[in-house]
Amino acid sequence: MIQLFHVYKAFGSRNPALIDVSLTVRKGEFAFITGPSGAGKTTLLKIISRAEKTSSGQALVNGRNLNRINERELAFLRRRIGVVFQDFKLLPRRNVFENVALALEIAGFPLSVVRKKVHQTLRYLGLANKEDCYPPQLSGGEQQRVAVARAIINNPLILLADEPTGNLDPDLTMEIMALLREIHIRGTTVVVATHSQELLRDTRRRIVTLNKGRII
Amino acid sequence: MKIAFFGYFVGQAVANISNNRLVHLIGVGTMAIAFLIFDAFILIFLNLSHWTEERGKLLTMSIYFKEEPGGVVLQNIKTELLHFPGVTIKRFISKDDAMKSLRRQLGDKAGLLDGLGENPLPASLEIMVSSDKCGDSIPYQLKTRLETNPAVDEVQYSQEWIRRFQGIMDLIKIVGVVLGGLLFLAALFIITNTIKLTIYSRKDEIEILKLVGATNRFVKIPFLIEGAIQGFLGGSVALIILFLVYTIAIARVDLRIGFASLDIIFLPTQLMLFLLLMSIIIGFVGSTISLGRFIRI
Ligand SMILES: Nc1ncnc2c1ncn2[C@@H]1O[C@H](COP(=O)(O)OP(=O)(O)O)[C@@H](O)[C@H]1O
Ligand SMILES: [Mg+2]
Repeated sequence: MIQLFHVYKAFGSRNPALIDVSLTVRKGEFAFITGPSGAGKTTLLKIISRAEKTSSGQALVNGRNLNRINERELAFLRRRIGVVFQDFKLLPRRNVFENVALALEIAGFPLSVVRKKVHQTLRYLGLANKEDCYPPQLSGGEQQRVAVARAIINNPLILLADEPTGNLDPDLTMEIMALLREIHIRGTTVVVATHSQELLRDTRRRIVTLNKGRII
Repeated sequence: MKIAFFGYFVGQAVANISNNRLVHLIGVGTMAIAFLIFDAFILIFLNLSHWTEERGKLLTMSIYFKEEPGGVVLQNIKTELLHFPGVTIKRFISKDDAMKSLRRQLGDKAGLLDGLGENPLPASLEIMVSSDKCGDSIPYQLKTRLETNPAVDEVQYSQEWIRRFQGIMDLIKIVGVVLGGLLFLAALFIITNTIKLTIYSRKDEIEILKLVGATNRFVKIPFLIEGAIQGFLGGSVALIILFLVYTIAIARVDLRIGFASLDIIFLPTQLMLFLLLMSIIIGFVGSTISLGRFIRI
């Protein structure tokens, strides 16, 4: 599902954020990317969603070479990849409902379907009473859940979650992790980036560790 | 594109405008100024060409009499002239009048005329012929016709006058098109940069839309609709201001040049609609140009 071959990523002339990273995540897998802050976890996820291009090396996602993909194909691929961004990337001037609905509207679903699915998903994430709120009015944890809602609403092939529990208290962390497991069970390939050792303690899932841009 | 989708984009555009009122207000204001300059230019150009055309179509004709005509002769000629469309009688100049005006022109040297026994100047009737209402051959027809009248000595009119105005008109048209084109480009440049401002204030939003899988088209369409709406508003404001200025200031001025009083006309409805359409198109095209750079994510 995700294949990286000798990926380098440099921002300007600084030490590269990723150095010779090769990684394969199979369809239906659930993998953690971990490592200290600044190790390159976010950059790795950005490469996979083509928010950043590789400096060198190849990245293949769902069989598409990200170095050779046109604008339209990329848009269609991104609709099949749900991303929970570390900084959420919610639209501050659209309310919770509209933010979540966006993913479906972009994919061209009719309004009736959009309404139904958004209500359903927001209820599922305990945000039913926040539909009309704007992101700046929400707590960090609530914004994070809105970001999760937007990422999963379209039943993506791949879910990339960047520190999805970073702003949550232990209870909500458990809930979000349970949610990710459920999405995984429904068939989505899940990649979670986290610096939290807590989260990884009892897991039997695959753990990829990055340090200073290299897989160790 | 499906109708429902168009509705969605219009809704987005309207929401964006109401969410970014200040930026849009600045945008509409700038556009209004740019369009106002352009529209004012069109108005001036229109009046200039309208005016020269009117002038160019009028020619003065002098009918010289063999002798001082009696009242009946004069009346007969006047009646005959009225059968010709587009003919206006300006004034009758008697032999005495002609002499007086010659003396006035000579000033100090008027004494030269004292030696003349009899007044050698002919009496004449000045008329104006508008070629608007009749063909180009009318002046010539009129001339031959009048010259058969036994009281009439000669009929003169100036063909050059028409040609000179024709030349001025052609020049005005060329200058107008060039200047208008430059103004148009300047307006487009200003507007493009104003729209960039609008887009720049929302570049985060564009980035997010793209990351969630929006195609360029999906991102662009609301901006294009916004641009068109801005263009429409800016264009309307420009025309309203121009009209107010016209009614308050210009229409009150009574410009008298030569013998004819000069009207300043406003833009005809069709031209206004055309300018409004142009404003909408410029808003649309301006958005298209401005978007190019921001959408590559
Ligand atoms: N857009 C960027 N411009 C410049 N440097 C960046 C950019 N994004 C990340 N970096 C650098 O790349 C390195 C890895 O960053 P990141 O992938 O965010 O690490 P992590 O998510 O593991 O904390 C850091 O040194 C960071 O400063
Ligand atoms: Mg990070």
